[in-house]
Amino acid sequence: MDPAPPKTKSSRSKTGDAGEKDKSKTHKLALKGSSKLVSEFFEYSINTILYQRGVYPPEDFTAVKKYGLNMLVTSDDQVKAYIKKIMSQLKTWMTGQKISKLVIVITNKETGEHVERWQFDVQINKLTKSKSSKREAPNQENADAPPAPPASEQALTDDEIQAQIRALFRQITASVTFLPELTDPCTFNVLVYADADSDVPIEWGDSDAKEIEGGEKVQLRSFSTTNHRVDTMVSYKLGS
Amino acid sequence: MASVDVCTPTKGRVFSTRMAGGRMPLTPSPKPKPSPMQTSNVPSIHTTPLFATAGSKSAAKKIGKSNIAKASPKRLDSDLSEFALTSTGTPVKSRNNRSRPQKSSVRIAYNAADRFVPNRSASEAICNIGTGKVESRPKSSSSKVQEGSSILASSAFDISMRDDLLGRGIDGLSIDREENTSEKKSPNTKAYESSVAQACGLNLNTRILAFKPAPPESSRPVDLRAQYSRPLKPAGLNAQFRRRILTSPDRVLDAPNLVDDYYLNLLDWSCNNQVAIGLGQSVYIWSADTGNVASLFETSADTYVSSLKWSNDGAYVSVGIGTGEVQIWDVEDQTKLRSMYGHETRVSAMSWNKHQLTTGARNGWLFNHDVRIAQHKIGTLESHTGEICGLEWRGDGAQLASGGNDNLVSIWDARSLQAPKFQKTNHNAAVKALSWCPWQHNLLATGGGSHDRQIHFWNTTTGARVNSIDTGSQVTSLRWSTSYKEIASTSGFPDNSISIWQYPTLVKNIEIPAHESRVLHSSLSPDGQILATAAADESLKFWKIFEKKAGAPSLVMSARKENDIMSSSVIR
Repeated sequence: MDPAPPKTKSSRSKTGDAGEKDKSKTHKLALKGSSKLVSEFFEYSINTILYQRGVYPPEDFTAVKKYGLNMLVTSDDQVKAYIKKIMSQLKTWMTGQKISKLVIVITNKETGEHVERWQFDVQINKLTKSKSSKREAPNQENADAPPAPPASEQALTDDEIQAQIRALFRQITASVTFLPELTDPCTFNVLVYADADSDVPIEWGDSDAKEIEGGEKVQLRSFSTTNHRVDTMVSYKLGS
Repeated sequence: MASVDVCTPTKGRVFSTRMAGGRMPLTPSPKPKPSPMQTSNVPSIHTTPLFATAGSKSAAKKIGKSNIAKASPKRLDSDLSEFALTSTGTPVKSRNNRSRPQKSSVRIAYNAADRFVPNRSASEAICNIGTGKVESRPKSSSSKVQEGSSILASSAFDISMRDDLLGRGIDGLSIDREENTSEKKSPNTKAYESSVAQACGLNLNTRILAFKPAPPESSRPVDLRAQYSRPLKPAGLNAQFRRRILTSPDRVLDAPNLVDDYYLNLLDWSCNNQVAIGLGQSVYIWSADTGNVASLFETSADTYVSSLKWSNDGAYVSVGIGTGEVQIWDVEDQTKLRSMYGHETRVSAMSWNKHQLTTGARNGWLFNHDVRIAQHKIGTLESHTGEICGLEWRGDGAQLASGGNDNLVSIWDARSLQAPKFQKTNHNAAVKALSWCPWQHNLLATGGGSHDRQIHFWNTTTGARVNSIDTGSQVTSLRWSTSYKEIASTSGFPDNSISIWQYPTLVKNIEIPAHESRVLHSSLSPDGQILATAAADESLKFWKIFEKKAGAPSLVMSARKENDIMSSSVIR
């Protein structure tokens, strides 16, 4: 518990107990703010992966300052629009807490083979007494994901969250050193593991998991906001 | 399609769920007769491979894999079973369960072993098994026809469960998952579903959704190795810093009676800054310096101008006529210098090389003329069998490229015109668009017609194809820029546009919707800045697409003066 930065604007917590939290001087993200932060993180992740893995040519990206880093985001109008379309739906789902995973699959354009799979597991921190934390515990399928953090009683400050995200992006960027070189032209797909009862717009359709058969898996860092925890994992096809 | 044999003793009546389900069954026959799909007595050989992968959860999963209980509404003519059918009020969900008056055994053909079976359907089935077990206990009660026939499935499963217990295995259970994805389940079913799924470690509550629209194409292939060692300031063009290209025409002129024929070549711009255009029977000369327009001549009414070309010095224009005649006109004097005969069909393409004029005709004949001498025909170039629609001498006169309706590109060496140096058959449609690169002499660009839509780039020294672009529409002409490393292509249906491509990256700089109908001809101004396009919408448009920046060096050392042009309006 740092007695750190002053409370900021977005802390309008709806839950009863959050109201008298003011003295704590920590920044509590309300669920909405947390969802926004996580979706924003996804947007930058998609951009970073597209850039780092060469799905689009590097000159189509421009650097923007974010998380205390120079983040590269696409400046190609078509790609921008495409990501925007994904993000707008993702935000809706995030706010409704419908999502448990976001997956970016990189596919070889010619063979259609999935060569790389970036998976972001979203967990709602149940211990936050936010009324909407009705979700089930993280699915057991992610055996290799570390257990959810003990609690979020210690609310994270903005700076701490930013530092975690920064570290994660550094790691994604650094992962190009061990990921196999993608020599063939590749394309990408975005998958979402959504609750069965989610509203699904027509652009989204059921899909298989597009897992990489016999792929190597590497667990990357995680970050947590007050309400969410995001674990990152990349799996990739071992070079033959 | 799989059918399930439920071998219960039948009563005479047949319960047809046709009515209850509100859907027509696929197999409407109410008689319990063996369906052609039944392989029930044949031990399935397909069973193990799939289940082998089921791993530790095998027992539960095995049953789960069989989705019988999930009740395709497509096959609903179920037979009456002896079991009590307690209505659950759910709509009919039963799969087709046929009865056979034999000992109770469930042997279901499983003939889809190689299919991918998602967990979700598995768990659905699992839960239905559970339902069956519980609900259809009272076996003794005799038959009642009931509408809620999900129990039919349940009873089937009850049997299957007993079978299982008896050690008969479930090797016969059929899998047909695709029909079963959108079922509604009774609350009981759901309860079982979740508990069973939990026991199996499946996650019922999620569905995997993919964003279906395909992501935009990458503008060029990416070599990551180059990216890792990239300089901080990229040398290439940023997406937002690409060259600005004017997308509106500099000038629009009427071109009435322009023949809408892909195979003709009716537009040319001379080095003296005069534009010649053939409109029907007439040839007009429009001076880009003054804007004056003059009619050069008219052919007789029964034929038309099929091609025209300025000589290299811009003093003469050669005109091909529909009859096969070739005329050479002195433009300044407006007099005809000579007529050259020899072709029997219309002359649709021509190209000058100093005093030589090469003409191509509809029947594929390709003649070389020396325009200075009386016996003008000095050579026959035999290669094409279809109409010649593209013909272009290289700037230095050492090579000639010809393209025809036989989808062939021939590259000729000026020193030996008996046979083509290379014949290229890569195009799948007529080749009209040909252009020699002004800064790399052995580079030729060729574009195919509407069934091909490709631009191919050739090294004419080796004959190798060095690059290709799929343009997505008929390529009607190609023009290299003299000041940028770019090439402009004009297209017919469906875009009717001008596209500008960087070379050799092949990035499309811009696509300008140029005309209302297909662009037929194009020509570059002598200073290389302006592209003239003539289209089937009977207009002639001028586009300043290669506008030079002040002080920028030209790629090609050209002696051409930078006249500035354009003043007056309509050609006539």
